[in-house]
Amino acid sequence: MIVYSAATKRYPNGYEALKGVSLTIEKGQLVAVTGHSGAGKSTLLKLAAGIEFASTGSVFVNNQNVAQLKPAGIAVLRRNLGLVFQDHKLLFERNVFDNVALPLEIAGFTRTETGKRVRAALDKVGLLSREKAFPVALSGGEQQRLCIARAIVNRPAILIADEPTGNLDADYAATIMDLFKSFNQVGVTVLLSTHDQAGLARLDCRRVQLSQGSVEQGNADQGSAVA
Amino acid sequence: MSAWFNAHQQALARATARLRAQPLASLLSTFVIAIAIVLPLGLYVVFNNVVSATSRLNTDPNMNVFMKLAATDAEVKAVENKLRIMPNTASTAYVSRDVALAELKKRANVADLIAGLETNPLPHAFTLRLKSTEPATIAAMRAEIAALPTVETVTVDFEWARKLARFARFAERVVMLLGALLSAAVVFVVGNTIRLQMLTQKDEIIVARLIGATRRFVRRPFLYFGFLQGALAGLFALAMVVAGTAWVGGEIRALAESYGSFAVQGITADLAIAVVLGAGALGWIGAYASVGMYWRQVE
Repeated sequence: MIVYSAATKRYPNGYEALKGVSLTIEKGQLVAVTGHSGAGKSTLLKLAAGIEFASTGSVFVNNQNVAQLKPAGIAVLRRNLGLVFQDHKLLFERNVFDNVALPLEIAGFTRTETGKRVRAALDKVGLLSREKAFPVALSGGEQQRLCIARAIVNRPAILIADEPTGNLDADYAATIMDLFKSFNQVGVTVLLSTHDQAGLARLDCRRVQLSQGSVEQGNADQGSAVA
Repeated sequence: MSAWFNAHQQALARATARLRAQPLASLLSTFVIAIAIVLPLGLYVVFNNVVSATSRLNTDPNMNVFMKLAATDAEVKAVENKLRIMPNTASTAYVSRDVALAELKKRANVADLIAGLETNPLPHAFTLRLKSTEPATIAAMRAEIAALPTVETVTVDFEWARKLARFARFAERVVMLLGALLSAAVVFVVGNTIRLQMLTQKDEIIVARLIGATRRFVRRPFLYFGFLQGALAGLFALAMVVAGTAWVGGEIRALAESYGSFAVQGITADLAIAVVLGAGALGWIGAYASVGMYWRQVE
């Protein structure tokens, strides 16, 4: 469960990316955060992953106040989340297999267990046949699927994806959205940001619309979740 | 425990992979570190051999008291009693003129000369071991003994030994100082290598941190790298010193044989292990310091 309680994010230059956002994402929900560029979508997601911290208010992930976690606690929090980045953040010196294996290396899995899990994750995103390829040889859609494989390889209970279809054409975007839908169907809480209306149409999910750092529509506290 | 072991195993594997990834660069920087280790290590081996060679020399402070030829046994006894109770006397050894002559006769090159003498030209003598080597104390003692009417001469013959001991202490300190300075050089060389690695692996560090890596996880392969590079450099340095010792050892043995038995002391197993582990530890320290210093730059 993710709970935003009057969370405000103000940057050193005075810009307020989020303004007192209160939002509760229940376990097992699939929530799509929408809004124009600069609405605060990415910041909202970063607060949950402990990449940014609220200036005022608080963010709880699985009942833990993210701002009060020590660096080692933040690392543990992130290990328990699956993070998908808009710019993929892939390692181009590592092949597909090794990119996906990174979270398992961090978690201290054995080579055998890592191999099993990596191949299972690659199979889910349809990249099993490309395990020895390097990211530079993959298409944009494949790179994003690789990023998703890395996010799910540790079997996280919460998946956070920032604009996962941002740079993809419609066909690829639909495939990616279907993947998130399938993860949610097996109980994974999914929080994603997007402005891909076509992709959203494929998801039977709650939508939260942000505008200039505030929740405009879909705030659970307002009881106006849009399905 | 299993996760901890796996994490270390993976870190070691990544460190060795980094060493192998750029073999020439790794070899060159390891060689530079090895040279920094060779200098103090080589000097230490030389110093050790000098100490070993001089340890058989009598370097205790001695004073020789020669009686007048006319001194009677009673006068000799009186002087001996006086010498014994002097505050700076550690021990006394009496050498009678007959014993001295007998010893002199044993020397082949003077035996014929001695045989031609009608009387024993050697005086009774005492050899004193002294407690203090303070020049002022010795000078006062020497003057006091020389003033005795039955004493012919007093010689103090250990200044060279004191100079040798001082030189040994000086050399020991030079080796230590050089060792400390070049240890710092090892730390800096490894630190710089790690800094460059951190910069080239900036993306990997950032991504790893984003997906849950602790600082310890990121730092661990660098520490192993530093240790491996240091330990490898220690091995290279040992090989160089062993080769050098073998090269000059034959000449030194040939030279030393004319002065008595002397064996060149090389590197013992204990020293070899200490050098490899010590160099590894220096590499580890360099890596740790470097990661700490450049962490912010990368993140």
